[in-house]
Amino acid sequence: MADFVQLVILGLLAGGVYVAVGVGFGLVWGVLNIVNLAHGALVIVGAYLTWQLFNTFGLDPFLSLPLVAVALFAFGYALQRSIINRIIRAPLLFTFMLTFGVNLVLINVLLLVFKSDFRSVTTSYSGQGLELGAIVIPYTRLASLAAALLLAAVLAFILNRTRTGLAIQAVAADRDAAQLVGIDLRHLYAFTFGLGAACAGVAGGLITLIQAITPTAGEPYTLQAFVVVILGGLGRVSATVVGGLAFGLVEVFGQSIPGSGSVFANAIAFGLMVLVLVTRPQGLFGRIH
Amino acid sequence: MSTVATAQLELQNVTKRFGGVAALDGVTLSVAKGDILGIIGPNGAGKTTLLNCISGIYPPDSGDIHWEGASITGTAPHKVARLGIGRTFQVVKPFGSMTVRENAAVGALFGSAEARLAPKAAFVRADEVLELVGLTPKAGLSVTALTIPDRKRLEVARAVATRPKLLLLDEVMAGLNNVEIDEALEMVRAVHATGVTVVLIEHVMRVIVGVCRRAVVLDFGQVLAEGEPEVVLRDERVIEAYLGERYAKRLRA
Amino acid sequence: MIQTLDASRRWRWILPFLGAVVVAYALLAPLTSLDAAQAINLPLLADKVWFRIATIIAMFVVLATAWNIIGGLVGYAAFGNVAFFGIGAYTTGMLIAKAKWPFLLALPLAPIAAAIFAALVGLPLLRLRGHYFAVASLGVGVAVGELVQNLDYGGQPIFGGASGLFLPIFSIDNRGLFFFYLMLGAAAIAIAVTWLVLRSRFGYGLIAIRENEEAAAVMGVNTTAYKVAAFALAAALTGLAGGIFSQWNVFINQDNTFPIEYNVQMILMAMAGGTGTVFGPAAGAILLQLLIQFLSGSLPITLDLPFVPSDARPVLAQIILGLLLMLVVIFAPRGVIDFFGGRSRLSLSYLRRSLRETSI
Repeated sequence: MADFVQLVILGLLAGGVYVAVGVGFGLVWGVLNIVNLAHGALVIVGAYLTWQLFNTFGLDPFLSLPLVAVALFAFGYALQRSIINRIIRAPLLFTFMLTFGVNLVLINVLLLVFKSDFRSVTTSYSGQGLELGAIVIPYTRLASLAAALLLAAVLAFILNRTRTGLAIQAVAADRDAAQLVGIDLRHLYAFTFGLGAACAGVAGGLITLIQAITPTAGEPYTLQAFVVVILGGLGRVSATVVGGLAFGLVEVFGQSIPGSGSVFANAIAFGLMVLVLVTRPQGLFGRIH
Repeated sequence: MSTVATAQLELQNVTKRFGGVAALDGVTLSVAKGDILGIIGPNGAGKTTLLNCISGIYPPDSGDIHWEGASITGTAPHKVARLGIGRTFQVVKPFGSMTVRENAAVGALFGSAEARLAPKAAFVRADEVLELVGLTPKAGLSVTALTIPDRKRLEVARAVATRPKLLLLDEVMAGLNNVEIDEALEMVRAVHATGVTVVLIEHVMRVIVGVCRRAVVLDFGQVLAEGEPEVVLRDERVIEAYLGERYAKRLRA
Repeated sequence: MIQTLDASRRWRWILPFLGAVVVAYALLAPLTSLDAAQAINLPLLADKVWFRIATIIAMFVVLATAWNIIGGLVGYAAFGNVAFFGIGAYTTGMLIAKAKWPFLLALPLAPIAAAIFAALVGLPLLRLRGHYFAVASLGVGVAVGELVQNLDYGGQPIFGGASGLFLPIFSIDNRGLFFFYLMLGAAAIAIAVTWLVLRSRFGYGLIAIRENEEAAAVMGVNTTAYKVAAFALAAALTGLAGGIFSQWNVFINQDNTFPIEYNVQMILMAMAGGTGTVFGPAAGAILLQLLIQFLSGSLPITLDLPFVPSDARPVLAQIILGLLLMLVVIFAPRGVIDFFGGRSRLSLSYLRRSLRETSI
């Protein structure tokens, strides 16, 4: 029983990172109808930025999160405004290919700059954890989950309680109608993508504490973001939060299957995603498109 | 009037809900072979939903649809087409990257059982239907170069190319001016003359009175009245629900 | 006015001419490597390196052309077709390595296995539209690769596991020539199949589905059956390439039979050349693969930038490729074939127009 509880806790904690990875991805998908294949690369860019700040200034990763968020927001805004806006009305295939191209360029630029060596961030509290009886909860994981949930809350706040956020929701509902009431589509699209990038950056900061990073380490996160958003459902931040936590649970339980369960984590994730798509395409909590 | 024995298409108590709204609520009607039936009603009355249920785009929630004696309730669209029911869409759906001729040929290639021809024969049939609707001079053009009236003609041509026994026309006249309506009326008469039963949804009263032998009025998913067009249009309930006082006065005058 | 008419007419014959030159070269150059040719002192136009690169190019012609059937003709952008490549490779590979079948007997089973898998997976998958289908197919592609690498039975990996599968070498004189012609044959089959489909009732049905699936259904097209058939056909051709690859390369593992990059490459090639056409994907495959090979330094002519250390070259190559991909997608959505086919001119106005159509 204790094992089960431990697994649930670990699953929820793992889910923290997935929540962070998923909310930005889901926002861009839901509003701009762009499946951003470069999302994982943006996560890794955030990770490297965090690592660099830690390495040069000794800045704790959690403290540098706001900085990374702002930097990635600016980068995402520029990227959307200059490049991605050019093909936004093209068929979906084009956005797939374009974002894949962006992904390729980002990862390889990182490779040029940082080489493929693995880097990691080790803080004073890295190895320690909270002990509750037989269960150990690593501090880093706990703080990551907290940070991820905070990120989701901030994003939800922006979307629901600010003028820009409401404009974003309007655009998501009906692009043409939104333009008719005077919303500047170009700016808003760029702003939304910037938000998504900022979330990716924060996710990147969070992963520096739980894994070693290398330029290609972001790839799995793009695919996992898919699963999270599909699992939870497109359309609401809260749905993605559920999806992220659920995915964390699936991963942890999948890895605990005796035998080579751990190696099938990816296959399980995708199997789950395809199953959801075919049986309940709106996910656990999403709205039907 | 048609009796049940000679009904070619029969709907019995058909109901279709979307969320909480009943788009069709217990609709019962029948169409005899060779008839031209008009379906009228205010927007949202369920007219297009009716066609969609018949052509199999979605099944009704309850009730039955019979075609030539056999049930087609919930049958897949391509099978309904193969059984001899063709239709057009209110918002035309041309095959964009093909020419006018190729669009018509698709109907001939896949339509009702007799019509499934090899490409060469399909193009011959395509030319025939284009002639029927008056699009022959534009046969080689891409559909994107067509005007709205011409696109509607193509929509009809494509459906006729499937050699249907019943043709469902969804607001073919919408957006046409008077001259174009006259031409379209001629087209409908020509198609009907080849032996095709026609059911048309229309808002243009001139069409209903001019070409339909019978009319059915739908309102809020229910049949409000049915009978000869002039009689139906004078029915008090229909006038109230749909036509408004001014037209009613004009009629009575 | 008159000048542009002439220009497009001039361009229109360049492409078939170029195509004929390429085909002639591909067919004849390998012959110079035969002993008979060497005996009469013909210049050697095709050496080992030539055969390797040419076979890879031919392989991508198959992949791109096959993808075009489901992605270009039907309009369902499958993002995981590499799964069929891997399935084909492992089917043939396992039959040869474990069941000791001869190569030529094991090869036909590759397309069959791939097609069966596609039909099974396609039934649920093809009910999805747009993004969902693309993502789901990508997921299938990744998952199959993982499963093949990691499935084991009683502690032993079934398919060779991480260390891969070694096939006995297919002994034949002039192996390079044999496998090149074989892969070229597969490419010819793929192109011929596309050509036949486009002229047939099946092809019209597929295009009708792409243009307007609902209208196609009410016209009498059995959309489910047609989509699955197209998917299985694309899978079969892709699987055939995989089967040839397994014996040609002698060694197969998850990395070289299920590489995710292949998914994007085959789509990019089809797009660059022109989706929905017969020769477009082939043209795109040849051009793009040559570029990729050039950038990776595999061609006899290499790119020597003074300030770039040689170990950074593959990274730089990827960056250039990524930028190129972005440029193609933004500026040339209709592809090379459209341009040479006279339907568009590579002019500023074309570029401006296509930008206007797709941007906000």
